[in-house]
Amino acid sequence: MLMYSVKRLGLAVIIVSLAMLMLFSMIYLIPGDPAAVALGPRATEAMREALRIKMGLDQPVWVQFWNFFTNAWTGDLGNEVLSDRPVAEVVMEQLPYTLALIAGGISWSVALGIPLGCWAAVKRGSMPDRIVGILSVAVIAVPSFVVAIYALLIFAVTLRWLPAIGAGEPGDLGDQLVHLILPSLAVGLGWVGYIARMVRASMLEVLEAQHIRTARAFGLPENMITYRYALTIAILPTVTLLGVGIGQMLSSAVFAEIVFARPGVGKLVYDAILTRNYPLVTGAVLVTTVLFVLLNLIADLIVGALDPRVRSRF
Amino acid sequence: MTQSRDFGVSRRSFLAAAGAFGAASVAVPRMALSQDGSVLTVRSYSDLQVLDPAFRLSLPEDDIIRSIFAPLLIPQAGDTWGWKAIAVDSIEQLDDVTVSFRLKDNIGFTDGFGQMTAEDVKFSIERMADPAMESPYAGDWATLKEVEVKDKLSGLIHLKNKFVPLWTTTLPTPASCILSKRAMEELGDKITTKPVAQSGQYLLADWQPKQKTILKRNPDWAHEPGGFDEIHIIPIEDPATAERGFEAGDLDYTWTSVSSLPRLKENPPAGSVVLEKPSLAYVWLGMNQDNEALKDIRIRRAIQHAIDRQTVVDAAYFGAASVGNGIIAPGLPGSRDSVAYDYDPDKARALLAEAGASNLFVTLDILNQSERLTAAQVIQANLADVGVTCEIKQNDSGTFWTLGSKDGEYFMNLQLLLQRFSMQPDPSWATVWFTPEQVGVWNWERFDNAEYKALHDQGLSESDEGKRDEIYRKMQGLMDESGCYVFLTHEVVGAIHRDTIVPGLKPNGESLLSEFKSA
Repeated sequence: MLMYSVKRLGLAVIIVSLAMLMLFSMIYLIPGDPAAVALGPRATEAMREALRIKMGLDQPVWVQFWNFFTNAWTGDLGNEVLSDRPVAEVVMEQLPYTLALIAGGISWSVALGIPLGCWAAVKRGSMPDRIVGILSVAVIAVPSFVVAIYALLIFAVTLRWLPAIGAGEPGDLGDQLVHLILPSLAVGLGWVGYIARMVRASMLEVLEAQHIRTARAFGLPENMITYRYALTIAILPTVTLLGVGIGQMLSSAVFAEIVFARPGVGKLVYDAILTRNYPLVTGAVLVTTVLFVLLNLIADLIVGALDPRVRSRF
Repeated sequence: MTQSRDFGVSRRSFLAAAGAFGAASVAVPRMALSQDGSVLTVRSYSDLQVLDPAFRLSLPEDDIIRSIFAPLLIPQAGDTWGWKAIAVDSIEQLDDVTVSFRLKDNIGFTDGFGQMTAEDVKFSIERMADPAMESPYAGDWATLKEVEVKDKLSGLIHLKNKFVPLWTTTLPTPASCILSKRAMEELGDKITTKPVAQSGQYLLADWQPKQKTILKRNPDWAHEPGGFDEIHIIPIEDPATAERGFEAGDLDYTWTSVSSLPRLKENPPAGSVVLEKPSLAYVWLGMNQDNEALKDIRIRRAIQHAIDRQTVVDAAYFGAASVGNGIIAPGLPGSRDSVAYDYDPDKARALLAEAGASNLFVTLDILNQSERLTAAQVIQANLADVGVTCEIKQNDSGTFWTLGSKDGEYFMNLQLLLQRFSMQPDPSWATVWFTPEQVGVWNWERFDNAEYKALHDQGLSESDEGKRDEIYRKMQGLMDESGCYVFLTHEVVGAIHRDTIVPGLKPNGESLLSEFKSA
């Protein structure tokens, strides 16, 4: 297990490094002058030039990349262009909101997807199975921003049950949870479908396995067979899927953060790209990349711990 | 083999519980915070980033800055342009180059920085004008000679030469916000997001990045108080999101998108008031006269004649905005009723034939916003009607705002562009961007006219309204003659607010937070 973990960790470091290299390359292919955007129409050419120098844009790209990378290892992501605040501080302010959103999305997808998948598998071929199948494909097909807009119009604007904007008062957990319901539903609903499909397929395979037949032959209750013996095995691919899904949810989070006017890293990066605020873009993307890789790593390690065959194959 | 399972919740009990939850939710609908009268919740289109009056970046910051750092003057709320004294008891133009002022006696700075004095006024104004500070707003005080301190509360602002926009676009802006000299010297840098030595009607109590800015009424402000105990400013970039937030009861006031105005006016949410204000902004179709395909003035003139401005504006603004005839909005000196070269497709075809420009292909660069795209599509159809093929190129804001810059690589390839500039209530604010020294900076049409520049300079020191009107009309006439411009509209500003509040708005609909009151 230790060797497996070390190898996975090494791979994670390589992935993060390559992602940052690609990001840096892409940033310099985008047209636009960050100094002009940041300072607005009234700035003189001298002011714009001074800002370019301050941002290090007068140096070759490889020097900028090297400086960023070496500083990043020490936790210094530089300073934000406009307010001059440390990028790490700006990103860390926003990160909890995005993590909460993703956690909420995962909660929706797990809480609804796993029971629906199990139910469909147990009722294989029946009407409920077909309904779950159709619903699963439907929610997968609907983009998260569409879910976000309709959820907002129904539950916030028409019914006024839930708030439309913001993330709730800091320190008031209840208020924050209420503000999380609709955005996390928008982020997680599509994954209800994915997980339901995955769990159903996996359950059907496991329910045909020898040990399940043996359990039935021994006359164990069906609930015990389904949830204790079948689901614990059938859920393994779902753990891996969720690891990948977090990346998808990070991108969906941008829409949810915009539609519900929530703070968060997704919106932070979006705004920073529009204003060509390069230090903030690189810093925020580095943090989210590390987060994504880390969560995938955790998912892999969990699967490795649960299934020795995975460890031996790596 | 299947077995029935008992989850302990029957279908009947589940439905009953869900029904009860729904009924309870409807019975206790969510309410806007301001309904108790003490908190105003408004939307701004961007979060704050810099609170230094000399380095502010956006209108929402202007609004916060003038609420927390008392300015000499602010714009007057209402339908006519004017100013209102905030930090001064009296202020007066003694002659063309001298303004006297006297501060109110009991304005204090927070954080123990004492009383506001004329020395602080001298420091604040001269700081902004100082070239070494590199303030983008140094131009507001470009004609400043010095501020002379007469006594603790009185002083004289000396100008190098007469500057008419002083009373419209310098003094009633954050350019006249007064900072504590001692506090700034101790800080030794510009103010970022943590204000020091606040002095206004409100104080910045909390800033939650990307979420909320909270202003609280300044308990030590001894003059006309702010209208609310607290103002919560929510940064929401997307107007549609803000409109939904208002309809859901989360906001008391927001700007709306122009496209939503007809719907909101026809069917306003209960307990709300929809406002429509004339904007000072100006939108135009520009043509780069140095581009090879557009060098012949007959081709540019043909394009001027090809565009049906009324249709473009009606389509892009859903009938809410009217056609504009220049860069200066109605109500200001220099505003016009017509343009020299209007829609005449037959004349356009004739000019193109005369110029030998058959099968002309042009590109039209726009910002990727819905009303710009709609306007561009109508322009594209208009041009197709006279035999010109037009390709629309959409750009994100980061790219768009550098297209015509002489530092870039694209400026000579730029052909047509759909452009919008915002504006202050003085015509010089519009004309300044089209002078020869702005070629390749913000003058992307590369319109280069020495007479225009001379008239611009003349306008800055001409105080006679009639003569100013004539000067600025003539300048727009020169723009018409260049063939580089098709003036489209001044747009319209939409806003919506609860009927429990009275918003403090400039005549062009921009908000003055400190002037918002309860109804």
